[in-house]
Amino acid sequence: MGQPSIVSQISEIVNSESGKSYLPTIGIECHVQLSTKTKLFSEVDNDARGKAPNSCVSPVDYGLPGMLPRLNKKAVNYAMRAGLALNSEINLESRFDRKHYFYPDLPKGYQITQLFHPIIGAGSVELPDGTKIRIEHAHLEEDAGKSTHESDYSLIDLNRAGTPLVEIVSMPDIHSAAHARDYTKELWRLMTYAGVTFGDLYNGNMRFDVNISVAEEGSAELGTKTEVKNLNSFRSVERVVEYEIQRQIKLLEGGEAIRQETRGWNDATGETTGQRTKEGAADYRYMPEPDLPPIRLSTEVVEAERMKLPKMPAWYRDQFNRVIGAENVEILLDYRPLMEKLAELGDEAAVKKVANLFASVLLAEENASLLNDELPTREQLLKLVEMLGNNQLSSTGAKEVFLKFFDPEMHYKDTETIAKELGVVQENDLNALEAIVGSVLAKPETKKAQDDYRAGQEKVLGFLVGQVMKESRGKANPSSVQEILKKKLGS
Amino acid sequence: MINMEINQETIAHLAELSNFSLSEEESRRLETDLAGIIDYISQLDELNTEGVEPTYQVFEMENVWRPDEIEPQEADPDQLLALTKEVQNHQIKVPKVL
Repeated sequence: MGQPSIVSQISEIVNSESGKSYLPTIGIECHVQLSTKTKLFSEVDNDARGKAPNSCVSPVDYGLPGMLPRLNKKAVNYAMRAGLALNSEINLESRFDRKHYFYPDLPKGYQITQLFHPIIGAGSVELPDGTKIRIEHAHLEEDAGKSTHESDYSLIDLNRAGTPLVEIVSMPDIHSAAHARDYTKELWRLMTYAGVTFGDLYNGNMRFDVNISVAEEGSAELGTKTEVKNLNSFRSVERVVEYEIQRQIKLLEGGEAIRQETRGWNDATGETTGQRTKEGAADYRYMPEPDLPPIRLSTEVVEAERMKLPKMPAWYRDQFNRVIGAENVEILLDYRPLMEKLAELGDEAAVKKVANLFASVLLAEENASLLNDELPTREQLLKLVEMLGNNQLSSTGAKEVFLKFFDPEMHYKDTETIAKELGVVQENDLNALEAIVGSVLAKPETKKAQDDYRAGQEKVLGFLVGQVMKESRGKANPSSVQEILKKKLGS
Repeated sequence: MINMEINQETIAHLAELSNFSLSEEESRRLETDLAGIIDYISQLDELNTEGVEPTYQVFEMENVWRPDEIEPQEADPDQLLALTKEVQNHQIKVPKVL
């Protein structure tokens, strides 16, 4: 791990109006849907995007009598990889358990999960500011179906029932809304970089359950916690934590007790409301899952999986924070293909210039969609940097060429060809430039400007540079033109 | 488990967890039956199982897994959906739950 490059300025202690100080404590559980082809225990399509409800289903997902789960090996591999991305120990032996609850989105009446022997052991996640959040463990389990609640009935879609999940359980190491946001965002990066999930938050590929409590600063005991489930954006995690901290402090200051309960988040009103008091853990009647033999892994298998991990955010921070600044790295890290592209360039000066183009051109609102297209090749980018370096391209010209790398008509062409076709190659040949300047100065309409300049009105130089640029149809290098003009006008 | 007392309260709690509604007669009968079962199973408490892993399975199998490939199913989605009581917009319609 590299040195933290952004100094933590996140404050953890919250002061109430009455002048007391409180320390919030937050733990987060994150469900990650794995992007396997089939479900965890049945051989049906795990990708239900754009498909009719209840079309990706098997008798296993319906929990029909006599149906036996068949473990997807790829899900085990992905779980290992997810664990390695969390700097976790991979437990060489793991097992499944049944967690019973009666709800129509899970027709068998229990969820197959790993309570006693999870596949992923203790680990840690380092936030951009260097804060370390410990991972308690993470385990494999099956997702439930999706319920839609109507006025007096509910509708169930089992397409999602049986989708493999890795549930990542953090230690209560988070103490602010900002770190809660940073942590969830970092988990999203780790899991998408590891390639174990599509990471589509809007469609619930990653969902967060947040446990929040507050206690007076210095108190040896934690306060009573509340849990807000099923959040699917970093922003909502941040807002929930902010809201709950204030709500709980207000209750405590008013002499009221906090109820241990599950609360629902309303994104529109920005409030949480009580849903139900938490059922005791024993109510789930956990028991060993007899239908699935244990998983036994070898260190070789785990190491083989480690080899499949690509460069992770920590590597990019280590390499690029110094070169392009930690803040830029954090922005670009959200777009893994861009980071890979930067790593391909190999040359620090080039990294700096291209990172700048990515940040200023591509991440501008109206161009962001281009990111879904194929990125320019290393050769195209290096040539662009070279042309910028020797003034064949102005920075404006370079941006124009860069955008054309994404144009379906142009993207296959090399940089020089694109620049020429756009007519943005700068004229750097001094003799040619002098000739153009000469011809402009010979024009009667520039006579007055020349006289004004000689009389000390330096501002008109801009007008003359403009005339030369026009004459060169934009190809002249403006700073060279300025030099030549000054020389010719004898100042 | 040792001192697990089966009474009408336990039965009501278990019935709620399983979403069963029981008549008073059924509830009484279950109390007697379950109490008998627990009593019988309690014989196991005579053994000292301190530090012994619960038995997950009796076969010495491990790593029973399959490749991540989609396979045709013996029952198609429409047949499965037809097994449910009520359907609306290709979804399973159930009494309101929250």
